[in-house]
Amino acid sequence: MPRQKLSEYRAKIIISKALGLPYKGWSVDSSLSLNSQLQEAASADSSFVVKVDEGVKGRFKKGLVLLDVQHGDLAKAVKILSDKGYRWLIVEPMDSHVPTDERYLGLLSDREGLTLQYSTIGGVDIEQHAESLKRVRLNSETDWGHLAAETGISDKQLQQLAAVFAGNYFVFTEINPYLISDAGLKMLDAAVEVDDTAAFFVDNWDADDLRRHTGHNLTQEELNVQELDANSPASLKLSVLEPDGSIFLLLSGGGASVVVADEVYNQGYGKQLANYGEYSGNPNTEETYLYTEAVLKLLLKSSAKQKVLFIGGAVANFTDIAKTFAGVLQAIEEVADKLRAQQVKVFVRRGGPNQEEGLAQMEAVLNKHGLLGAVHSPETPLTAAVTEALQGVGHE
Amino acid sequence: MSKGTDLRGLQPITICLGSHPGIIQSMIDYDYCLGRDKPSVVAIVGGGRKQERYFWGQSEVMVPVYPQLQAVPKKYRDEATALLNVQSARRVLAGMKEAFALLPKLRVANIFAEQVPEAHALEVAAEAAKKDILVAGPASVGVLVPGLFKLGAIGGTQYAQIVAAGIFAPGRAAVVSTSGGMVNELIHIVTGAGLGVSFAVALGGDRNPITTPAQAFLLAEADEQTERIVYFGELGGDDEYAIAKLISDGKIAKPVIAYIAGTVAELFDEPPQFGHAKAMASRQDETAQAKKNALRAAGAKVPDVFAELRIELERVGAELLPQDHRPIKQRRKSLIVSHVSGDIQDDVHLLGKDLLETVNENTLAGLTISLLLGHRVESSKIIQFTDYVLRLLSDHGPYTSGAMNTIVAARAGRDLASSMAAGLLTIGPRFGGAVNAAAGAWLQGVRGSSKPKDFVASFTTDGGIIPGIGHKKYRIDMPDPRVKALTEQFAGNRNDDRYLAFARGVEDVTTAKKGNLILNVDGTIAAIMLDLLESELDYGQEQLQELVSIEFFNAIFILSRSAGLAAHYLDQRRNDEGLLRLGSNDITYIPE
Repeated sequence: MPRQKLSEYRAKIIISKALGLPYKGWSVDSSLSLNSQLQEAASADSSFVVKVDEGVKGRFKKGLVLLDVQHGDLAKAVKILSDKGYRWLIVEPMDSHVPTDERYLGLLSDREGLTLQYSTIGGVDIEQHAESLKRVRLNSETDWGHLAAETGISDKQLQQLAAVFAGNYFVFTEINPYLISDAGLKMLDAAVEVDDTAAFFVDNWDADDLRRHTGHNLTQEELNVQELDANSPASLKLSVLEPDGSIFLLLSGGGASVVVADEVYNQGYGKQLANYGEYSGNPNTEETYLYTEAVLKLLLKSSAKQKVLFIGGAVANFTDIAKTFAGVLQAIEEVADKLRAQQVKVFVRRGGPNQEEGLAQMEAVLNKHGLLGAVHSPETPLTAAVTEALQGVGHE
Repeated sequence: MSKGTDLRGLQPITICLGSHPGIIQSMIDYDYCLGRDKPSVVAIVGGGRKQERYFWGQSEVMVPVYPQLQAVPKKYRDEATALLNVQSARRVLAGMKEAFALLPKLRVANIFAEQVPEAHALEVAAEAAKKDILVAGPASVGVLVPGLFKLGAIGGTQYAQIVAAGIFAPGRAAVVSTSGGMVNELIHIVTGAGLGVSFAVALGGDRNPITTPAQAFLLAEADEQTERIVYFGELGGDDEYAIAKLISDGKIAKPVIAYIAGTVAELFDEPPQFGHAKAMASRQDETAQAKKNALRAAGAKVPDVFAELRIELERVGAELLPQDHRPIKQRRKSLIVSHVSGDIQDDVHLLGKDLLETVNENTLAGLTISLLLGHRVESSKIIQFTDYVLRLLSDHGPYTSGAMNTIVAARAGRDLASSMAAGLLTIGPRFGGAVNAAAGAWLQGVRGSSKPKDFVASFTTDGGIIPGIGHKKYRIDMPDPRVKALTEQFAGNRNDDRYLAFARGVEDVTTAKKGNLILNVDGTIAAIMLDLLESELDYGQEQLQELVSIEFFNAIFILSRSAGLAAHYLDQRRNDEGLLRLGSNDITYIPE
């Protein structure tokens, strides 16, 4: 996915290096042995702050930041946070300061270019002080001297920061809080989002530095689809909403998939919606097979009594319906007995190249296995087909 | 983009960056259905082959392929108005910059790739705005103006789909969509409602589409064919606020009906990322609901339920214009394409005429050179030259490696074809292949405007010998009579003999070093043939280069020498001396 969070550790390394700032910190993978990872930190002469480094917002308030951790307690602190379900942590020397010294700095990009946001009130409550935020567009007319006076950061470092942002395909940066030190900017917490489609053009970070936190641990099926997506020119997405849901979606197309999910939600079936996902960009038969396999595994695991699978999409421009459905059908046939045993019905609505062949195959196979709900061509409106499928489950 | 892209005044002449045969075929089909006399796609930039074959109705056409945009003939670059970019995301920025620089009449482009970096898209957008070019993308299926052009996969990639979409005649509703699948869905809804499509554009699901929804709306407002605007948008980004402002400010006066997808996001704990890059709402104002409210407040119709969109359009719909078009029947790709010969109504034709007619009209040399060049040659000077060269190269004695191999095989009791093949198989860089190599060298020298001296230096530093230069016996003070005969008869061409002159220049340099490094027969034939093709048949340097790379010049040698090889075979058979074996004097054995 295009805008992704960079690990705080990597973000600070990149920014510090570009601005010539001293930086000490350690990235910790709590799933690996800690001794070697913490060895260097344990010999440092200070206490520590240990934070979750997975791009989670509002860490402090969620108890994902441990302050003033002593040498001997580092491993324990790591365990406390990893027990909460977080793998990546960052350990840094503790910095003592007065809270009122904390300031806020942000950089964001949009169509018109870069905007700098700053406030002399920083820290975890910045959102309550939104009125203190000042916004300035950065361009050829920027008064850097004025900004330096306002932020306490030298104009040189501010310009370096803007250059780091552009040069590393950052799309969002928040340094909150920061302090002013002898070296200039001193980052306490930093959050950076990058445009991950640019990974090819960047040396300072790569896919391993990206952090994603979904609010729940990803299921094996979601992880499988993530890997499938990463290795394919086509796009394949899957996220689980309700493991015991009754409505499972196997959708095609970034736009149509949202329309279908909306329809489920708008008709009051949101709580029963098991997943969102989509494939697009003409995936091959093997890819749609693996993708369908993942969705069907989730479906079979759900404890809902009445389950439906809705297979659908808009009228494809270039995605081959016969070819993509061949993979879908292969996966369905493999578990057809189990699906029938759970009285699952399958509803289909799709159009595009070779739709006649694809839809005919679909209908024949579903019929053969007693899974047929309905199969529709584009003559039937997309959302009418969804409505029909929803009638198969009933409100809970 | 373009405040003023005049969609209706645009004559599509399309260059494709990269090849996506399904999409390109659908664009060519669309041209065919509209009754055009030739495809609007004039060139493809891509690797590998020199041409790609497409259907033109039931028959087939070749679209030329060039390795870079720079290599596309200037004629095409100067007239191209449309660009289909189906290259990978990594190459989009460089590709578009090059296209902007090399295509002076470019008006509309489609970028197909997903995952183009945002910064790259914005750089393209800035340039497109300066040049007033409508760019749909990245991650877009293109732009469609019914009755005029289809740029990209939009509307479908199969004939049956294009017919079902009802997009041959212009309608009254503009379709603007951030989604490729939904643009097609909306096209079907709009035509199904009897409104028809005035134009349709897929802007792509990226956060920074090069053409923004607001810009597309302004295009629709300015387009006289458009009566209303149908829009599909999603959660994420703030493009809809720009639309709302245009409506509120009265800059968009035509009725707008919109569906904003993504209310389902309310179900998720953390803001979910949907299928498109843009489709994620991390702030409240990016949610589908907030954007719907803004559009409604401005006066747009924004149904909550997608089905209402259709109902609303059917309410205002009317009769669709008749979708007349030239139909395409079942078709199948042939295995082989030939420009040389084939059956027409079961009669064999050579070079476009009945076999016997062609045979009766031509001398052997005339027929030969026509066949080799793949088209009828009428220039008597070229035919005479071919005749002379065919005679000149027919044999060079039994000493040559080709003749020797044929003789050895013949003496071993092999048949005619095998023995001739044994001789022919020796033809290559050191024997017989010098004409082709020399043609390549002279062409390279003249194209690069090198000075003969530098040209020679580049060869010698590479440690190579110069093809077409040097002879065992003849020297500068004892010229090769064949070279003299060739130049006397066939020099004096309209291009001032520039290839021969270059070869002579090279000879001046090399003979200054060594007396026998003269321009030899191979080098002379190559130079004169180049001069003749350029002067008599207007061959360009690209075409000449192609002749070198497909070994045209070697074909002449092989053809002529075949007579000599056959002669040696027959001669040996008549002598019937038995197996030829080398004696001990012929071999020096040096043990390790």
